Amino acid sequence: MVKLAVTGLHHRFGRHKVLQGIELTMHAGDCVVLFGDNGSGKSTLLTLLSTRFSLQKGQYTLDGLDSKNHGDEIRDKLVFVSHNSHLYGHLTPVENLLFFADLRQLTPSDDAIRKTIETVGLGRFADRPSRWFSAGMKKRLTLARVLIAKPSLLLLDEPYSALDAQGVNWLNSILTDFLKGGGMIIMASHDPQRVAALDHKPQFLKKGRLLPEGEVVTC
Amino acid sequence: MLKAAYRIAWKDMVGDLRRRSSLSSMLFFAIAVLVVFQAAFEPDRQAAVKLLPGLVWATVLFTSLMGLGRVFQAEEENGAFEGLLLASVPRGIIFLGKWLGNLFLTLLVQAMILPLTMILFNVDAWHVIHHIFGVLVLGILGLTGLGVLLAAMTQAARSRETLLALLLLPLVAPLLIAGVQATAGVMVADGQPWPWIKLLLIFDMVYLALAPWGFSWLVEE
Repeated sequence: MVKLAVTGLHHRFGRHKVLQGIELTMHAGDCVVLFGDNGSGKSTLLTLLSTRFSLQKGQYTLDGLDSKNHGDEIRDKLVFVSHNSHLYGHLTPVENLLFFADLRQLTPSDDAIRKTIETVGLGRFADRPSRWFSAGMKKRLTLARVLIAKPSLLLLDEPYSALDAQGVNWLNSILTDFLKGGGMIIMASHDPQRVAALDHKPQFLKKGRLLPEGEVVTC
Repeated sequence: MLKAAYRIAWKDMVGDLRRRSSLSSMLFFAIAVLVVFQAAFEPDRQAAVKLLPGLVWATVLFTSLMGLGRVFQAEEENGAFEGLLLASVPRGIIFLGKWLGNLFLTLLVQAMILPLTMILFNVDAWHVIHHIFGVLVLGILGLTGLGVLLAAMTQAARSRETLLALLLLPLVAPLLIAGVQATAGVMVADGQPWPWIKLLLIFDMVYLALAPWGFSWLVEE
């Protein structure tokens, strides 16, 4: 059964066409990795799928919900890990995750939040303001949201950046479990080697167009 | 959903109390204004009663502007504004949270400044201080409602604080006039504050009805 469908998606910034005629379908447990040069439209596609902006042209449905009429419900079913961590520096990891949970109307216990922070390897820093965290620590805390929210779609923009080798293995194991549980992942990456551990379908974007399967561009 | 609004407001209040950024600058600015006016006019009791409503509202306006200029400061860090907009709650709830946070901060400052003003200017209006504060609350409801919307509009601008002041001042001028008149009305025994209080209520209803809708439209585009 198709869980995610994108048809005829076009997007432009002013006169510049960023995405042209994107077609994409996904089923439970699918992982699509978007490869492409800088400016090929990977991040824009992820941002549009996150429903941050309204679609200019085309259609997007997730779990049968149309993005035009059900933006809030779709946002409830996905987590977008973008280049920005979306963290508040004055809040501790516990407070950041509580904040995130309340915005999604989730009710995890304090214990569950602390356990998640332990799982992502930040247990010692659970009550320290996240302002002083390294980029890798911020990335781990951002990914902790995935464990709290248990979404059906995960949008990841360069998730391996700022992670060391151990962090990459840790992330891949989390993503593998997520896929086994029936979740879907759409990821933008420049790094085929790090993604190799995941069972995924590569898709190449060139000048805003998704290339037919089998066509490859070097990035 | 209201829990989400509460959490946004809580986050802003905690952030401000931990960093003491807006609160301390608003307080120091208000105290500086009061001291300068006191030194400049040295009003007697009767003159002070006439001066106080205008002075209180001028302090409200300028301290609010300082707070509003920083209302989205926490969201600039780590792209947190994008994170807010990815929340699965209606945009109006996000506005409500940001507004409540700013409202609390502004009211906290005014609650500290109002008694200080009365002491500095030796105004004997302690028996109506709750009425004066009530009028301030009514005015601040609308002022911060419109202000948070305009702060969201101008947050990406380079000289946003100037732009915010330029947009806010003409739009809240009628509310300020109503606030000054209502305050003057409650301070004297034979005052007529009710027409002005009703006007304040109308401004509050209009601003607070339009602002969430305007915010939703603004962040969608």
